[in-house]
Amino acid sequence: MFNLPPPDILFQLSLNGALGGAMYGVAAVGLSLIFGTMRLIFLAQGAMIILAAYFVRALFYGLGIDPFLSLLIVVPVGLGVGWLIYQGLFRKAAAEEDRNVSLLIAVGLMFLVQNLMTVVWGGNTAGVVTSYTASGIELFGVRTSFTRSMGFLIALAGTGLVMLFLRKTIVGKAVRAASEDMDSAMLMGISPHRVNAIAFAIGIALAGAAGVAVATTFPFNPFAGFIFSLKALVALALGGIGNVTGALAGGILLGLIEAYVQYFISGGWTNAIAYGVFLLVLMFKPEGLFSRPYKKA
Amino acid sequence: MSRALQWIAIVVVAALALLPFLPGAVDAYYFSFLFFVFLYAVMAQSWNLVAGYGGQISLGSHAFFGLGAYTTAILWSGNYLWGSLYDAYPGIYYFDPVTMLLGGLVAALAAVLIGLPLLSKLHGDYFALGTLGFGEIVKVLFVNGGDFTGGAFGIVAPASSFDTLRPHYWVGLGLMVGTALAIRALMRSRYGLALIAVRDDEMAASANGIDILKVKVAAFAGSAFIAGVAGSLYTYYIFHVGPDSVFHLDWMLLPLMMTVVGGTGTLLGPILGALVMYAVFDLARIVVPDYHPVISGLTIILAMLFLPKGLTRLGVMRRLKSA
Repeated sequence: MFNLPPPDILFQLSLNGALGGAMYGVAAVGLSLIFGTMRLIFLAQGAMIILAAYFVRALFYGLGIDPFLSLLIVVPVGLGVGWLIYQGLFRKAAAEEDRNVSLLIAVGLMFLVQNLMTVVWGGNTAGVVTSYTASGIELFGVRTSFTRSMGFLIALAGTGLVMLFLRKTIVGKAVRAASEDMDSAMLMGISPHRVNAIAFAIGIALAGAAGVAVATTFPFNPFAGFIFSLKALVALALGGIGNVTGALAGGILLGLIEAYVQYFISGGWTNAIAYGVFLLVLMFKPEGLFSRPYKKA
Repeated sequence: MSRALQWIAIVVVAALALLPFLPGAVDAYYFSFLFFVFLYAVMAQSWNLVAGYGGQISLGSHAFFGLGAYTTAILWSGNYLWGSLYDAYPGIYYFDPVTMLLGGLVAALAAVLIGLPLLSKLHGDYFALGTLGFGEIVKVLFVNGGDFTGGAFGIVAPASSFDTLRPHYWVGLGLMVGTALAIRALMRSRYGLALIAVRDDEMAASANGIDILKVKVAAFAGSAFIAGVAGSLYTYYIFHVGPDSVFHLDWMLLPLMMTVVGGTGTLLGPILGALVMYAVFDLARIVVPDYHPVISGLTIILAMLFLPKGLTRLGVMRRLKSA
């Protein structure tokens, strides 16, 4: 059916797909954490990523801070904002039996953030252009964009740090215990509000890191975030809901699928096929593609 | 519902039905406002049926709304239904009950086709995510549908049929009252009890001989049917049906929001929620045009923080019901 392209094009395609997909992955890791403890589909994650991208842009053009250096500002701010969002908006709803309430607060937050961005920065497409935006680097004999590779590194580092936190620290273990079984975790003396707030703080900090990657790579506008949320959800399902490394791998896989569909079929069908895979995985392998039964990451 | 509330409802509906005869009413701002409240109330009832009474959170209402809208536009612009009668009576598709019914049936059929695999395999959040994915797939299918669906631009129906907003208003009011009455009757029947039983405890319902899948799929299809008919009505209002307008996520998010603000799983909740939320949105649009989506977002958050159980569960409403 298809003529297989020469290996170097195939490799280029895979590399681009994987690098782009890592950004879905890092958004999905944040979603995964928040979903893990609160069972909440945090639809505003994409809007928070775009907000971070605008913040990075403002830092760059206003204060001349290099976008990648601004990670040092954006990530701690993200931690604080995430903690505040939980305490201010979700704390009461988290105790509520009806989870529509939290879902709707997330939707309201998404509307609010999107449109505040439009009011402050206008609805037009914006971007960050630095001296190295157009430069490329040589990777395994294939040229690729420098900023995309940096985005990939940010995604890897972010996920790695979250994994270390979840595995090595006592607080991280509490978060993991709460996502596996909140009732038993509470019996062990883990405060649900504390783990929820931590999950939110880390989730929004990851949105900040993803914002840096987005700002340096793509042009963006206030409403671009929702697609990001949807893609992150697909990545999350591919990797297995609640599985942090799986979420990153799911994002990379989604990036690969998109790149191949664009090349072999047509750009117009990318989304349909991505969501089709999403539905099939949900139905036939809801624990995700990368998890073995009875073993959680 | 208490007798007092019943009488209030009858008087309000009668007043609304007679409103178009009031001189100047048709051209007044509140006339189109009311039409949209009716339309959103129908969509909110549709979501409430599957999510509020059935407990299955669906995030795909916009897909069914769009399917109904497209079915009407395609049948009409391509004259697939009435053949040579269309030449004799050019207005035959305009508010044609058969065309509107088919809009609902196509949506219901799609709901059965997607609902059988999804509902037999997926529970809770996974079902919600699945319906969200389904909505996006349908949208892409219509963008890539070629001449049949008009691609990314969509389809334009003969807008020359528009004369006055009166039929929209009456049909909208009729649909709102009709769905509310139908759902009321349904929830008092064996089927309604089965639906509530499945929502409250699937295991116990199944142990009592209820076919869970059948009940869930039927509720999903019924909800889709209502949304499809609402989409059909919207085609007669907007005339240009495109993937970004009728498959817009707002057709799922706003009705969901209205239902929750009004009170999920109640009969009056969706109607009350549609009225209040649409009034807030529209007021914000008029008073602070630059900031209105910001106000809308804030309203949702505030409503959820302070009224998580919905308006119909406020003390005033409870007293009215027991009166």
